[in-house]
Order: sequence, then structure tokens, then C-alpha cells
Amino acid sequence: MMLLPTNLRNRVLLFSLLAFAAGTTVLAAEKNPQSVQVTIGTILVSNQNDDFDPKLKSMEKQLRVLKYRSYRLLKNDTQNVPWQGNKVFEIPGGRSLTVAPQEFQNNRIALKVRLTEREKPLLDTTVTVPNKGNFLYVGGPPHEGGNLVLSISAAAQ
Amino acid sequence: MNSCENIRDSIGSWLDGELSPSQSEAVQSHVATCGACAETRRQLEKIDRTLKTSLDAEAVRVDFLPFWREVQSRINRKRSPIEQLVDWGRDILTAPRVTWAIPAVIIVLIGILSLDAYLPGWKFGAARNSFAAVDSIDAHGSSVALLRENETKTTVIWLYQDEEGENDAAADESAKSGPTF
Amino acid sequence: MELTDSELVQKCQAGEMSAFQELVSRYHQKVYMVILGLLRHREDALEVAQETFFRAFRKINSFQGGSSFYTWLYRIAVNMAIDAQRRQKRNPLDFRENMDDLLEAQNEVAQDPFSDVHDRELRESLVKAINELTPEHKAVIVLRTIEGLSYKDIGEILGCSEGTVMSRLHYARKKLQDKLSAYL
Repeated sequence: MMLLPTNLRNRVLLFSLLAFAAGTTVLAAEKNPQSVQVTIGTILVSNQNDDFDPKLKSMEKQLRVLKYRSYRLLKNDTQNVPWQGNKVFEIPGGRSLTVAPQEFQNNRIALKVRLTEREKPLLDTTVTVPNKGNFLYVGGPPHEGGNLVLSISAAAQ
Repeated sequence: MNSCENIRDSIGSWLDGELSPSQSEAVQSHVATCGACAETRRQLEKIDRTLKTSLDAEAVRVDFLPFWREVQSRINRKRSPIEQLVDWGRDILTAPRVTWAIPAVIIVLIGILSLDAYLPGWKFGAARNSFAAVDSIDAHGSSVALLRENETKTTVIWLYQDEEGENDAAADESAKSGPTF
Repeated sequence: MELTDSELVQKCQAGEMSAFQELVSRYHQKVYMVILGLLRHREDALEVAQETFFRAFRKINSFQGGSSFYTWLYRIAVNMAIDAQRRQKRNPLDFRENMDDLLEAQNEVAQDPFSDVHDRELRESLVKAINELTPEHKAVIVLRTIEGLSYKDIGEILGCSEGTVMSRLHYARKKLQDKLSAYL
């Protein structure tokens, strides 16, 4: 670098610095995310039919663990949830899922999750999910002859 | 380019022959009639002349043959490995096209490190533990099962619940059967 | 018939050392003058000038004729001189000794109208004033004054625009005028 003409050297240094600053901002944003994008998939599983919703293709291997014959995606919701805040996801059957991100560490996101049915808490759980990684599944609430399975994933923003 | 100050600022470029013909003519006409600008011209020419003379005097003292012998000995001298490495590094860093390789490499590295921001599921670095971990469960009196399946890295919390809705018979059947883990 | 610089470069690239020797012969004093103008120290300037040609020899195959040979050569020389200048750790005493050498050399130059006391003082002050310029300003003044290079060529050598060359020259000349007003 010392052998470049000063003007060009300064330009290259400045550009490198800007590139580095931009990059560290991106990386820093990951390390100190501002919010969490939470995606809740509502899946109806049952033994009434033999079908697999193509929209669930990406999680087929995991869902098949449940050994149902029918899997159907009812809805997919994504919301940005602020740290230490919470957002409510509406679930069929008068239910709701409240998700509250707690902490981001080692590229994993700690979440408090509450499943409620008509204002009554059914399940409170604290989980840690990999950032932009595999889903957590919460299943069991009966619905339309089958059961609901909620896929929960989180991505730090 | 009219004011005396503007013209005076252009005298250097005029003397260097870097002005357009019309600008040059304007400066020349003005300098011919303006004492201050004529003085500036004289001063700049004197500076140029003095500098050139002083260095010309030095340059003639540099004989070609001894100079060339020294250059030749540098060319023929075997460079040590460290010198060769430094030379190679210099060559790489001073090639004009490669000048921009430095920030380009930085950007590529940053891109790789940031890849999982844009390709969900692409694993890099610390994200090796891909299981969802369950730290606590409170089913508020209901039965709950926790399943972890290694091959597919699946974590399932299953809540066993009695149906309270309309479709009781079917729901009971489903709720009792549940998944077969 | 004398070969052009381009023809000599081609012969160098083909491995003819005699062609390179001819290029050195043509430019060694000019390169030395430019470097001396930047470094103001005779031994350093000589050493850097020799190293400049060594570097040029090593890189001769990368010269593709996009610019003239001399602007390519001066670019190497100026970069090395600016580098050397930044590494230069001369104490004031060393510098003054060298200044005296330079002035002595000037006085040895043919009977010229500048060998009177007044002009000697001007030269002393000029050397000092030039040395107070930044490397970039020194470079434009030296390249323009000694070599009479165009702003375009100077811009190519220094890696800047003609406008930058013009403004740097203007600034450098203004500074020199201010510092040397008593002698001009």
C-alpha cells in the first residue's frame, strides 16, 4: 500500500474502511439484534386423510416424526417482536400464542411462549431456538377432527 | 476571468501553457498592462528558474557509468527470501487492477460472514447446535410430553388436552390417540 | 537512428539488457533530479534513483504502453521518494549539511547571473521553503518546474486529476511566494 500514489492509496484506504465499517455494522447488527422475526405456522394434523400439504415440504421430515397421515397448513404468521416485548399470534379455536424474546446468545434466541385458550393459559414454556434454524413444535390442541401443531421459528433482525 | 485577482491566480497555469487560447490571450493582455500581475509573473518565473538551476547543478554531477553499475549490481544480486517475499508483496499491492482487490476481499469476507442473514438455514460458525432446547414447561395441570428426535433434530412439546368445543366425539378420539412418538 | 522509448521497452521485454541500459542513460539524471527535489538529500536521492531503475527493470514486463514510459518511470520514482521521505529521520544538523552541499554545487555552476549573495540567500530560503511543503505539493512543483511536464502527465504520475494538479501547484507557488517575498 505504501507504494501507491498517495491519492489512490487514500482512496483505497477510505473505501476499505467504509467496506469494513459497513460489514461490521451488518455483523454487529446480528450480534446485537434490534428485534426478532417470529414465524408461527399453524398445521392441522390428523389421521382422517392421507395427504401432505406441499407448503409444508420444508419441514416434512420433522413433521413425519409425529406419524400422522394428514398434514395441512392452515396459516403462517410472521411478526417482528421487540426484545423484552411480546406479540400475540391468533390460533384457530379461540386460542392464541404469545411469544416474548428474552435473549440472544451464541446465535440462539431464548423465547418465552404462552399458549392460551379463551384467556386461559394452557402452556407456558421457555425455549431456546437456533437463530434462523430449526423449528420448535408445540402440538396438541384439538381442532376439526385432528390436532393443531404450531411450528415456531425465530430470526434475529 | 476578469478581475485582477482571478487573473493573478491563473498566471501560473498560463506560464505552464495549460490555459485555453482565449484564456491565455486574456491573461497576456492583462499582464502587459497591470503592474501587480507583471510582478507576480516575474516572481513565479524567478522561483522556477532558481529551483531548476539548483537541481540542474546537482544532476550533472551524477555520472552515468557508476550509476549504471550500481543498478546492474542490484539487478544481478541474488535477493534473499525475505526480500523476494517483500518484492512479491509489493508487486501484488501495486498492480493497478489489484488495488481494488483489498476492499473487494474485505467485502467478500464480510459477505461470507453475513451469508446466513440472506440464506436462512445456511449454517456458519457458531450455529452448529441446531436443536431447539426446552428450558421449562408449565402445562397448568395438563399432561405434556417432550419429544426430541436426533435424526431430524426435531423438538416437540405435546400438550394432551381434552376438547371443550363442539366436535367432542371426534376431538376426544384425536386427543386420546395423539401422535405416536 | 535513435530508438524511441517504446522500442527500447519492447527490446527490454524481449530480454535485451542493452536496451534497458539505454533507457537508464536517458533518464537517470532526470529521475535523480526529481527525487532530489523531493528528498533534498544527495545520498538518499542517489540510492532511491538507483532503486527506482531496479524496480522498473523488475516490472518492465508489466508496462503495457498505456502511458508513456517516462510517466510510468516517474510514477515509480515519485512513489519511492515519497515513501523514503516519510521514513526519513534526518536531524536538523544533517539537513543543514546537505543544504550547504547543494548550495555549493549551485555556485559551481557556470558563471551565471545568480551567483551573488542575494541569490544565494534566495536559494537557501527556496530549499527550506520547498522542504516545508507536503510531499504531494513538493511533487507537483518539482515535476512541473524541473521536467516541464504537463498537468495531464503529472496527474498520471501522481494518480490525481489535472484539476488537483493545478490547485496544488497554485497553492505551492503561493506558499513559496509568501515565504520568499523578501528575496524575490
